[in-house]
Amino acid sequence: MTDNKSKRKISRLLCFMLVFSAVLSIIVQTGTIVSAAEDKKTFTVGFDASFPPYGYKDDNGEYVGFDLDLAQEVCDRNGWKLVKQPIDWDSKDMELNSGSIDCIWNGFTMNGREKLYTWSTPYVDNSQVVIVKKDSDINSLNDLKGKIVAVQADSSALAAFTGDDATDENKALAKSFSDLQQVSDYNSAFMNLESGMVQAICMDIGVANYQISMRENQFRMLDEHVSSEQYGIGFKKGNTELRNTVEETLLAMKQDGKFDEIAKKWQLESSVCLSADDKYLDEQGTDDNTSSKAKLNIWQIATQLGEGMLATLSIFALTLVFSLPLGLLLTFIRMSRFKVVQWIAKIYISIMRGTPLMLQLLVVCYAPYYLFKIDLSNAYRFYAVIIGFSLNYAAYFAEIFRAGIQSIPNGQREAAQVLGYSRTQTFRKIIFPQMVKRILPPVTNEVITLVKDTSLAFALAFTELFTLAKQISSAQASLLPLFVAGLFYYVFNFIVAFVMEKVEKKMDYYR
Amino acid sequence: MRILEINNLKKSFDKKTVLEDISMYVDEGEVVSIIGPSGSGKSTLLRCATFLENMDSGELSYCGKKAVTTNDGKAVYLPKKEMREVQTNFGLVFQNFNLFPHYTVLKNITDAPISIQKRDKQEVYDEARKLLEKVGLSDKENAYPCELSGGQQQRVAIARALAMNPKMLFFDEPTSALDPEITAGILRVMKGLAEANMTMVIVTHEIDFARAVSDRVIFMDGGVIVEQGKPSDVIDNPKNERTKSFLKKLSV
Repeated sequence: MTDNKSKRKISRLLCFMLVFSAVLSIIVQTGTIVSAAEDKKTFTVGFDASFPPYGYKDDNGEYVGFDLDLAQEVCDRNGWKLVKQPIDWDSKDMELNSGSIDCIWNGFTMNGREKLYTWSTPYVDNSQVVIVKKDSDINSLNDLKGKIVAVQADSSALAAFTGDDATDENKALAKSFSDLQQVSDYNSAFMNLESGMVQAICMDIGVANYQISMRENQFRMLDEHVSSEQYGIGFKKGNTELRNTVEETLLAMKQDGKFDEIAKKWQLESSVCLSADDKYLDEQGTDDNTSSKAKLNIWQIATQLGEGMLATLSIFALTLVFSLPLGLLLTFIRMSRFKVVQWIAKIYISIMRGTPLMLQLLVVCYAPYYLFKIDLSNAYRFYAVIIGFSLNYAAYFAEIFRAGIQSIPNGQREAAQVLGYSRTQTFRKIIFPQMVKRILPPVTNEVITLVKDTSLAFALAFTELFTLAKQISSAQASLLPLFVAGLFYYVFNFIVAFVMEKVEKKMDYYR
Repeated sequence: MRILEINNLKKSFDKKTVLEDISMYVDEGEVVSIIGPSGSGKSTLLRCATFLENMDSGELSYCGKKAVTTNDGKAVYLPKKEMREVQTNFGLVFQNFNLFPHYTVLKNITDAPISIQKRDKQEVYDEARKLLEKVGLSDKENAYPCELSGGQQQRVAIARALAMNPKMLFFDEPTSALDPEITAGILRVMKGLAEANMTMVIVTHEIDFARAVSDRVIFMDGGVIVEQGKPSDVIDNPKNERTKSFLKKLSV
C-alpha cells in the first residue's frame, strides 16, 4: 500500500517536472521572440565561432573578434540590434538563403565566390600560409611533397588548392601532397598537427598569426605564401539594399578612423585594405544565378558519395564486431560476485552513458598524444573512430545483455545445475540462447542508432557519408547531396530493421 | 543400501531459522513423502538435499559418500569436481517443470546425458524414446515445451530426470501447478515409478497419494520433523497434536 503510494507520488512528481520544464521552455522561447519583435531591427551575422581573430569565443565565453567588432559598430550606427549567430561553416549557404542569418561576416574569402553572393568591397587582403611544427623539417612549399596537409572544410585554403579558380601552380602543389585532409575547424586542425596526424596546415594569414601567438610559438609559418585573396562581407544574392547600408556605414567608419582603430585592436592593420574612396562592387552577373560550376545530377552525387557510404558501412560493421563481445565481457564484470569488480563496470558504464559520444571520440583520438606524447599517424584517425564507437556502444550493449540475462527465470539455472551443467555450460547452452531472443528488440534500437551515429566521426575529421555530403553540398551550393545521404541512411536502416525482424521471426519457434 | 543420509541439518535465512536440526535417511527402493503446512521448511529441506541451497551446518551423504561435513559449526562442501560426482546420484522434478524452452522435448531429455555424461548418442536417444513412451508422449518428441500442456511438460520433466539414470528422484510439489484431472496423470506416472522400485522423496500436498505410494511419511512443521512412520500410522493414526490438526484442516 505504502509502496504504491510512494510510486504514485514519484510518478506525479515526474509528470509535474515534465510539464513544468515544457511550460518553462515555451515561456523562454516566446519571451525571446516577443522581445526581438518589440525591440529594434536585428542584424544577424553568421560566423564560424572558431575563426580567431575574426570571430571566436574568448576566455569569458563571449563571441568576439575583428569582424564582430565591425559588425557591432555598424549596428550601433544604424540603430540595429546585433545578433551573433555561430554557424556550421559547411551549412553557411543554407543559413543565408533561408534568411536565418543576414550576412556572412567572418574573414569570408571573395575569390572564386564572386558570383555566389552579393558582396561588400573587400576590406582585408589576405594570403594563405602554411603552418608547421616549430621543429619540423619543412621549410618551403616544395618540402610539402608527400606530406599530409590539413585545411578547413570549404575554406579558402581548400578552394585555393582544389577550387575551380585555383591556379595551376596551386593545383600542382596540392597534387604533390600525400593527402589534403579536410577538418571541421581550426582547433581540430591544430590538434591534428600537434599529434602528428598531419604535417602542415594551410590557412588565412590573419588567423595564422593569431593562432601562432596564442599557441606559445610551438609552430611557425613558412615564408612562402600559397595564394592571395580578399575578404568581404557576403549577403544573400540580390540583397543589395542591406549591402549598401552596411557598406556606407563601413566607409563612414573608415573615414572617421574607427575602422582602423578596430583593425589595430586586432593587430590586423597590415592586412586591412579598405579605403575611404572605395565603392561597392557592381553587381556581377546578377542574372546569372547559377555558378560557373557544372551541377551534378543525382547519380553523379551518389557516385561521389560512394566512398563515404563505404566508410560509414565500415564504421558500422567494425563497431558491431567489437562492441558486442566487449559488451558481453562488460556484463560479466558488471554481474561479478565481487562488489569491487562490479563497481569498475558500473563506473565505466556510467561515464560512457553520461558523456557525449563526440567528446569520447576526441579523447580516444587525441589522448595518446596529449597524455603520453605518442605521435599519431593519419591512419590512427580511423582506428580512433572504431575504438571510440566500440567503447561507447559496449556500455549500452552491456546493460541490455544484463537485463536479458536477469530476465531468465532462476528455475532455468537450477534445472541446469541439478542436471550437472557447469556454470559455463549453463550460460552457453541455456541462458545465452534465451537471452539473445529477449534482447533483440532493444539491440535493434541500438543498431539503428549506431547507423545514424556514424556521422559523429566528422569530429575526428574522418570522412564518412555525412561529412562528405556536407562537403559536396557546400561545393555545389545544393541540398541534393544531403538528401541523397539521408536517403542512404534511411535505406540502410530499413534493411537493418528488416533483417532484425527476420531474425526475430526465426527465433519465434518457442516462447 | 542407504542412498541418502542427513544429520543435524541447520538452515536459516537472514537469522530466521528455517530448518532446525533435521536428521533423516532414505534407503534404496524406498518412497518417502514429506508433508506439512506451508512454511514448514519441507521445500527448503529438499533444496538443501539437492544442493540448490547451502546448509549452514550438518552432514549429508549420498550412497555412503560424505558430500557435506561440519567443521567448527560450519558446513563444508566437497570440492566442485567431487560435488558433480555426488550430484549424479539424484534427479529433481520441479513444481513448475523448468524445461528448457528453446530445446525440443527430445533435446531436453537427451542434452545432459550426451553433453554432460558423454554417453553414446544413439543409446541415449533410444532410451529417451522409451522414457517418452513410458510417460505417454511418444508423439511429442519434436515439440517445444510451449506447445505442451502443463501436465505434458511435467511428464517430460520426469523423463528428463530419469534419463540421467539417477539412483533416486526428488519431487518438489510436482502437481501443485496443475489442474486436478491432470494431476491424476502425473501421479499415475509416479506410482508406476514406485512400483518399479525407484527410490523417491516426494514433497506433496496430495495426502491420499502419499498414503497410497509411500513406504514412509514425514510430517514437518516449524522447521522440525514432528512425526514420521508408515502412512497408516502418520496419516491415519497421528500421535502428535500438530499432525492431527494439520490433517484435520485438509479433510475439510
